[in-house]
Amino acid sequence: MEIPTNSHCNACYKAYSPTDLFCNGCGYPLQGTPQEQDFFLSERNVKEIDLSSMNEAVRKAGNSLFWIAGLTAVSSLFILGTVAEEDRSSVLIANIFLFVAFLGLGFLSKSKPTAALISGLSLYLIIQILNAIDNPLTIFSGIIFKVIIIGYLIKGIKAVLDADKLKKELNID
Amino acid sequence: MDKENLSFKLCQNCQQEILLSNRFCNHCGKSQLEIDKQVHENKWLSLQQVALFFTIEVLCCASSFLIEEHNLFTLYFLDAIMAISAIAFFGYSWIENKIILKWPNFSFLKLTGLIIATILTSVVVTFLVNHLNRDFLHKDLSYYSIFEFHKYGRYLMFASMALYPAIFEELAYRGYLMQKLLTVVDEKEAVYISSVLFFIIHFSFLSIFWLLPFALFLGYLRIKTKTIWYGVFVHFFFNLTACFLDLYPLEDLYKMIF
Repeated sequence: MEIPTNSHCNACYKAYSPTDLFCNGCGYPLQGTPQEQDFFLSERNVKEIDLSSMNEAVRKAGNSLFWIAGLTAVSSLFILGTVAEEDRSSVLIANIFLFVAFLGLGFLSKSKPTAALISGLSLYLIIQILNAIDNPLTIFSGIIFKVIIIGYLIKGIKAVLDADKLKKELNID
Repeated sequence: MDKENLSFKLCQNCQQEILLSNRFCNHCGKSQLEIDKQVHENKWLSLQQVALFFTIEVLCCASSFLIEEHNLFTLYFLDAIMAISAIAFFGYSWIENKIILKWPNFSFLKLTGLIIATILTSVVVTFLVNHLNRDFLHKDLSYYSIFEFHKYGRYLMFASMALYPAIFEELAYRGYLMQKLLTVVDEKEAVYISSVLFFIIHFSFLSIFWLLPFALFLGYLRIKTKTIWYGVFVHFFFNLTACFLDLYPLEDLYKMIF
């Protein structure tokens, strides 16, 4: 069966056939009154703004992974000065590992955001727990910053899922 | 036109025939994504459940650092909590999870090949790890010290170092965790995430060289074969070989033979 197409939807630019009352990609009222069409388009605009703010949240969460990498590098310089001589090489190796890991996850978050953000969040939390076991007072050092980073990461993970759903609804791939 | 576009379904709202690929009904404009919405809400719930499970695992593992004197009781107490949580979470979604407990296309040849490859890899990895620990961290790691004083120390060590992780870690990570993640992300990402979590729970940065590839391989095996049993056997023989070499180091075996 061949469906003759004569035009493209005003909202999502998908081809439609003259018998369609609504666009089958996005639900745009093709045969509706101008009022209905305007209403649909303005609703769609709102959703598109939502989508761009979600993408922004994902981007911010990815950037916070770079921030963690940077802070690991900076803080390791201070820590290296304070630890005993014989521990220095293992502390250095651990810090280089963490720096590379977070940097890598930061880059991965551009192509595979869910995997990168979940891995980054769990790695970051584990480090905090291990530090706290070693010295419980470390929980409170830079706690505001830690809460902000964790908040960004969790928000980012949720935004990836929400954005996927909204993209389907708006027929944007 | 694509072949799949030509099959029909009924609109969820007005019951008219519409194309299967339609996201909205072209007769009444009603969204056909209602089922997706349900799935989407479940995704966030699944992730929260995974987070809860992983937190329990982390707390169990982390609390072993707080115990000053390790003995068999503390070891088995923590192991028991983790085993119970793994079974509980796995059983909670029993309907979705039971399928991976089946063993379709059982191949004896494949299993034997995998086991032989695992044992050889484990010998090489254990050898390298021992050297790495001795030369870089200046410490000798021995699992046996905690079991030494018991009459059946060796058997207990094999049970808790090889048999226990093989069954319960596979059930938890390749079983429950991966099955839940597959409802949220695609197969590749599910393998990545479960592997990273598996690596993190071992609390050893140095182990990234063998644990992460090992976990990725187990994850790949689980996706490919659609069963956890190959993973269970691979995991068991990997740990068994490591335990065996801990009791009878390669150097001693070499001297005994030549």
